[in-house]
Order: sequence, then structure tokens, then C-alpha cells
Amino acid sequence: MDSHHVDISENQGALAGRDVPVDVSNDVKSEQLSLQDPRAVLSLLEADQVVAAKRRTHFGRKNLSFGTKALFWGLRIYVVAMLVIVLISVYQAIHPAH
Amino acid sequence: MDAFDKNPSELAGHTARPTTESAVASAAAPELIGLVTHEDVDRARDRWEVARARSKGRKKKFGGIHLLWLLVGPGVLVFLGENDAPSMLSYSADGSRYGVGFFIPFVVLTFIMGFIVQEMTVRLGAVTHRGHAELIFDRFGKFWGFFAMGDLIFGNFLTLVTEFIGVRAGLGFFGVRPPIAVGGALVIVVAAITTGRYWTWERITLSLAIFNGLFIPAAILARPDWHSVGHAILTWTPFPGGSRYEILLLILATIGATVTPWMLFFQQSAVVDKGMQPRDINAGRFDTLLGALLASLFAIAAILATVPLFHHGINAADFQAAQFAEALEPLIGHTGAALFALGIFEAGIVAAIAISTSSAYAFGEVMQTGHSLNRPLREAWPFYLTLFGSACAAAALVLIPRFPLEFVVLTVNVIAVLAMPPALAFLLLLVNDPEVMGEHVNGFWANVAGVAVTVLLIIAGLGFGLATVFPKWLGG
Repeated sequence: MDSHHVDISENQGALAGRDVPVDVSNDVKSEQLSLQDPRAVLSLLEADQVVAAKRRTHFGRKNLSFGTKALFWGLRIYVVAMLVIVLISVYQAIHPAH
Repeated sequence: MDAFDKNPSELAGHTARPTTESAVASAAAPELIGLVTHEDVDRARDRWEVARARSKGRKKKFGGIHLLWLLVGPGVLVFLGENDAPSMLSYSADGSRYGVGFFIPFVVLTFIMGFIVQEMTVRLGAVTHRGHAELIFDRFGKFWGFFAMGDLIFGNFLTLVTEFIGVRAGLGFFGVRPPIAVGGALVIVVAAITTGRYWTWERITLSLAIFNGLFIPAAILARPDWHSVGHAILTWTPFPGGSRYEILLLILATIGATVTPWMLFFQQSAVVDKGMQPRDINAGRFDTLLGALLASLFAIAAILATVPLFHHGINAADFQAAQFAEALEPLIGHTGAALFALGIFEAGIVAAIAISTSSAYAFGEVMQTGHSLNRPLREAWPFYLTLFGSACAAAALVLIPRFPLEFVVLTVNVIAVLAMPPALAFLLLLVNDPEVMGEHVNGFWANVAGVAVTVLLIIAGLGFGLATVFPKWLGG
């Protein structure tokens, strides 16, 4: 069996099962689930798992509350302070105190 | 570039929403049928195996075990990857300096805290099907997206250097010359990555990661007093003696290093690449818990393996892997010492694979290029270039004669703990975002635990970072 065919002869129930959200047409109600058939591939993935769908949709920018905006400004200040501390750490590592 | 690529978030109907709708039943199905990729086929193959296992599992008593076997992976890898060479050496140093006592149950506590944080990444990945860097970029803008990516890749690169230092030191016990040790490690990293299948990469890396358990037979050969071990676990005593400043610094460092930025990015991206869905979240939690338990067990083993050094008054504060093994050899035998050295080598290898992969995931997500281990090299060359490039560059640094590697080791911990607060803040914001998480948004108790652990990690990490740079602030 080539790698693009999956034997479902023992698993007809699985196809009809609630956990396999397969909306198959009669074309794919066969003994084998052919992954060369894009409909079979799509039946196994959620809508936003498909690569093309993910490329075309994005979670938009979050509307920030006042508290979140304040948090982000705090993070910006933190990042600057962090960089200064890291530079001090690097300087100390290069020139250790004796 | 089509219209969707320019400003997708501003186009009506192209804003992502959390959904469990099957792709074949979605409104976009007619379009998507012609756009199925190699990556989709590979992921669908993995999902088919999960569906079959889930169906069979209802009929058989232990059918669920096969399902768990299929879904275990990201959680175990992230925690066993966090048991990297520097971490295992740190645990070993604890055992050699303080013996059996406080740090054994303390280590378990830190891994429980790590589980609370990492569980949130499982839900984020399974619900949104997007990596951590990608979500930060989408929800909070380009500045924070690029900052998260750049900060991660830089910190990861320094950490990779320490991993290859561990590899070199671990195999140094066996007389393996550094170029061969480091080169061999790179070959293993490349071999794991160039499979073109996430599933295969995951199983290869898991097979390597389980050797983190080599510290268990090393610990057994150290013949610990199991009564004392049980007493320590139950009573958290004896508390370590010595300088209060050093102990405080050690506690802060251990808490602060419980979760490092790469863990957040790696596990979420791995969950996405594995194709996990919301129905798999419980299995993902089990996977994460299993990883935390295994890692804490192996960490305790590393502590116990070096307790003989404590009993013999051997100062191992600045030991590297080979020195630990050499010092242990007369106490626990050549086999025990060899197992210890091999464990350090394994810790470096697995961490190198996981950390370089997390850098590649973050790069691909932010730069919006292909970023999946299900893609062949020719389709996702920027992803693989980031992966290989970071590992090769780190390995090369380790081999440069007289390169100040101690400088890297000293600064990487500071950078890692200082980089955590923004990463944890974004994690909490995202997992509490109903537009992203839908019904899987954090509940009250999840927030109580998540916020408490996050605040503790931030305070401890900042305290360690500042105390390292300004030791007099804590009385050092």
C-alpha cells in the first residue's frame, strides 16, 4: 500500500464516528481513504489548520484596554532596563572584579 | 502577492476565529481543495492515525494507551529538553554541595510550576493552530513580534553554545576529542531534522530524550540512603547550611530557570506542527504532566548521583561534566561515572535539537515563511537554515581555541531569566483572550494558578538577574 492510501476497511465505523468529522462524498466512501484526494485531507483537518487557510487569515490586532496599554509601556521600559543590565553583565564578565 | 497577503487582518471575513469546523465543511472548502500542500497531507496522515486510535480506544480496555502514545510528544520533549546540560550540572552541583535534603522536593515543586505554565501553551496551540511568536505578532503588533523572535533567537543561540559545551565535556570523559564530539553531535542533530516528517523527528528526539534517565542507574550506583531521601521529600529538610546569600541566589536561580522562553515557543509550535486539536487538549495535558514528572525524577537522580561527593567533602562548585564523572569514578565506579557523563552528553544533544527547532519555528512564524518539520528542505529552506545555522554556529564557537566560553555561561542565565517577564506576560494575555481562545479561555482557578506562578517566576528571575549583576543588593 503506498503511503498516500490509508486502509480503512476495518474502520468504517470510525469514519461515521462523531470524532472523525468527515463529510465525505460517495467518491471517498471506499475501503481506502486516499490522501491523494484533497477532500479526504481536508476532512481530517480543522478549517484553520490548512496551510492556505492560515496564510489568508490572521487573528487581528487586539483592542487594548487602558491597563494593557499601561502594561505594554511598562514592558517597553523594562526592555530598555533589561538591555542595560545585560550590557553591565557582559562588561562584568569581560572585566571581572578582583 | 495576492490581496490577502497585504493587510489580511483588515479584510472583512479574513479575521481568524477559534473554530473546530472541519476544513471540508467550511465555506472555503471549494478554494482549499486546490491548495492542499504536502504539509497538509502529512498532518492529515497523523490525524488519521489519531482518529483510528480514538475510535478503537472506545472498544478496548487499554485502547486509550495507543491514543496517548500517538499524542505524547511536545510536553515530554520540552521538559526533558529543559533538563539540558547546564541544568543537569546544576542539579549535580546541588547534590555535591548540599547532599540529600531541601532541594529534592524543591525541584519537584519547580516542575509542577513549570507544568502550570506549559499547559497554557498546549491550549493555545491546539485551539489557535498558531505558534506563540505568530500570535504575539498578530495580536500585539510588529514591534513585539519581532522583539519576541529576536530575543528568543539570541537567547537560544547562547544556550546552544552551553549545550555543545556540555556535549564536549560529557564525551571528554571518554577521551573523545572536542571536534569529534561536537561534530558527532551536529550529525545527530542534522539526522533528526532532515526527515521531512514531524512525526519521525518527534519519535527520534523522544528516543534520545529518554536517555536522560541514565542518571537513574548512576544514582542507584551512588547507593543513596533511601530513608534520608524519603525523609527529605516529606519534610523538606535538612535545609542547606552555608552562606544565606548563596542559598538565596540558588533558590532564585532554580525558580527563575524553571521555565525559559524557548519552552513556551517550542511547545506551542510543536503542538501546532503535530496537528493537535481542541479534543486533544486532555492528552496534551497528560503529555505535559508526564514530561514534568519524568524530568523531575531524572533531576532528583542527578542530585543523588553526586551526593557521594558531599559525603567525602569534595568541593565540586565549579566542576564541569568530565570533572564530575572523574571525581565520581572512585566513589560510584567506572560504570556509574560513565553513565553520568553519557547523561550530560544526551542532555546537551536533545536540548540542542529542541532549542534550535524553537528558533526556527519563531523565525518562520514572524517572517511568514514555511515553518513545519512536515515540509521538505526545498520548500522551507529559511526554516531549516535557521535551524541548522544556529546549531552549526554554536558548535563552531565551542571549537574556537581560547574563545571565552565562561563569558557565555555566565551571561546566558542572566539573559534567560530577564527575558521571561515579557514572554510570560504575553502568554497570560493570550490565554485570557476570548477572541483567540474561545471556550478554552482561562477559567478562574487556571488564572489563580497561572498568575501566582507567573508572578513568582518573574520575581525570582528578576531577583536572580539583579543579584548576579549587583550582588551587594542582596548582601552578597
